[in-house]
Amino acid sequence: MIPKPSIDDERLAAFRDVDFTYEDGTEALRGITLDIWKGEHIALVGGNGSGKTTLAKHLNGLLTPTGGNVIVGEFDTCKEPVARLARTVGYVFQNPDHQLFCPTVTDEVQFGPRNFGLSDSEIAEKTDRALEIMTLDHLKAEPPMSLSLGDRRRVSIASVIATDPEMIVLDEPFTGLDAKEADELMRVVNGINREGKTIILITHDMRVVAEHSERVIVLAEGRLMLDCRTRKVFSESSLLRDSGLTPPPVSQLAHRLGEYGVSPETLTVDELAEEIARLMEGAK
Amino acid sequence: MTGFVDLYSENDTFLHRLDPRVKILSVLLLSLLAFVLSTLYSLVVLLAFIFLLLFLSRASLSRTWFALRFVLRFMTLIVILWPIFDSAGTPVWATLGPIKITEPAVWRGFTSAARVGCLACVWYILMFTTSQRDLVRALVRMGLRFDYGLTIAISLRFFPSFMATIYSIIDAQRARGLEFNRGGLIKRSRKYVAVLVPAVVSALRTADSLSLALQSRAYGAKARRTYLRQLKMRRSDFAALAIVTALFVVPFVAKYVFFVHI
Ligand SMILES: Nc1ncnc2c1ncn2[C@@H]1O[C@H](COP(=O)(O)OP(=O)(O)OP(=O)(O)O)[C@@H](O)[C@H]1O
Ligand SMILES: [Mg+2]
Repeated sequence: MIPKPSIDDERLAAFRDVDFTYEDGTEALRGITLDIWKGEHIALVGGNGSGKTTLAKHLNGLLTPTGGNVIVGEFDTCKEPVARLARTVGYVFQNPDHQLFCPTVTDEVQFGPRNFGLSDSEIAEKTDRALEIMTLDHLKAEPPMSLSLGDRRRVSIASVIATDPEMIVLDEPFTGLDAKEADELMRVVNGINREGKTIILITHDMRVVAEHSERVIVLAEGRLMLDCRTRKVFSESSLLRDSGLTPPPVSQLAHRLGEYGVSPETLTVDELAEEIARLMEGAK
Repeated sequence: MTGFVDLYSENDTFLHRLDPRVKILSVLLLSLLAFVLSTLYSLVVLLAFIFLLLFLSRASLSRTWFALRFVLRFMTLIVILWPIFDSAGTPVWATLGPIKITEPAVWRGFTSAARVGCLACVWYILMFTTSQRDLVRALVRMGLRFDYGLTIAISLRFFPSFMATIYSIIDAQRARGLEFNRGGLIKRSRKYVAVLVPAVVSALRTADSLSLALQSRAYGAKARRTYLRQLKMRRSDFAALAIVTALFVVPFVAKYVFFVHI
């Protein structure tokens, strides 16, 4: 079920039979095995408490497995400090207010590159680029805490982009954003993905998953339920429902229209329109 | 994380059922008693009585140990340090340079440690047999202003989530390459600014939305407050209060009226 990489693909992370139990005894991950390849656009989905955040925190060593191994790049996460792994894996936390503390947006965005000990010219270059990508230029000198939630989130993402990681984890980045802001954010994320960065998107929004991610990892109660191409995932509606997820309306509709010849793997409005148009043409 | 601030463990023993006001009064009386008693023997008897209560309230051994191990360490420290700083009395057991270890001082060390043990255990019993809501309710019924009671209740309620926020902030900054355990003392303490600022900002944001939530439920509207849950003293509550009062009054009178060395 794990998507086959092409020959020149580079493996960024490998989970091997990973278990994780919190100190209070909560078994948050059980027997997770998966690979993440360079340049992938992955959605990590599952019901509340299914272990998405716990899994993601294994990618930069904030959590280390209580059973099995996690390899990131060429490092075993148990043996490397978070600060080292953070250069490969950038992590955008769910709540931007948990990281913003600098007097200006520029300082905030520079914080990561400074921690990694880059030279001043490199820091300036990366910061400018990150601010540009997130269209924050006009807010450069503002104190980040006083911005709107959408802008605060963009600052937190910019501060991760500035560290130029191979992989970016976004934990529920749409909380509190309206549909327009969310689409805008996805446009930026896709742009970063096209530059060859790996994206791990944790979200409950199946429409976004259907339209943007190429691979979906479904967790339920700490177990890996599904791990395959997005098209496949939404056609397996019974498994999805068991994991507490509902396919987006477009795929539900495509499913219902299956008997008229609409492909159940239809994902977006455009695709569905095309399918229907094709069928209607045929009927004429 | 919650076990750290809320020692309460749900159960159904007579101590859990006791009126919280009775429990608070009893704990105060027993705490005073620990100061009235001044001999090691009587304090050990009191400690034994308190342990009996602990046993009757079905305290889990591991949780009790978790909550009280610091106290045990503190008691050990008292036993060791007391004779070093208190050299009154004879016979002298040992002399180490300027330090004189005397027999009465050693006993005084044990006595103080036993007193600390008594105090810690009684308060622990109160905390783990009474839910925070009941405690606050009792304090309000005993005359605490309602707003203060609510303030206490809210603080207790939000403390665990505040701690969770702090841990999340630490994670967020580590994910940006901040290493807390590197550098000298000054450099390290500067790094905590990156935790402190978001923590304060988050707390203020929480407080802000909380005050909106309170206002939208007409908190502070001028009317006589009614209470959904009333506290009512039962016969067993009066009995318990009588027993504890006697337990306090008898040694008190013996000591200060009849000058019994107790
Ligand atoms: N610090 C912690 N200590 C103990 N248990 C925890 C901790 N953090 C999470 N858990 C538990 O681990 C399980 C998985 O949590 P996790 O946060 O990874 O889920 P999630 O899929 O990210 O959920 P959500 O959609 O709510 O963000 C849950 O049962 C949760 O209660
Ligand atoms: Mg989560």
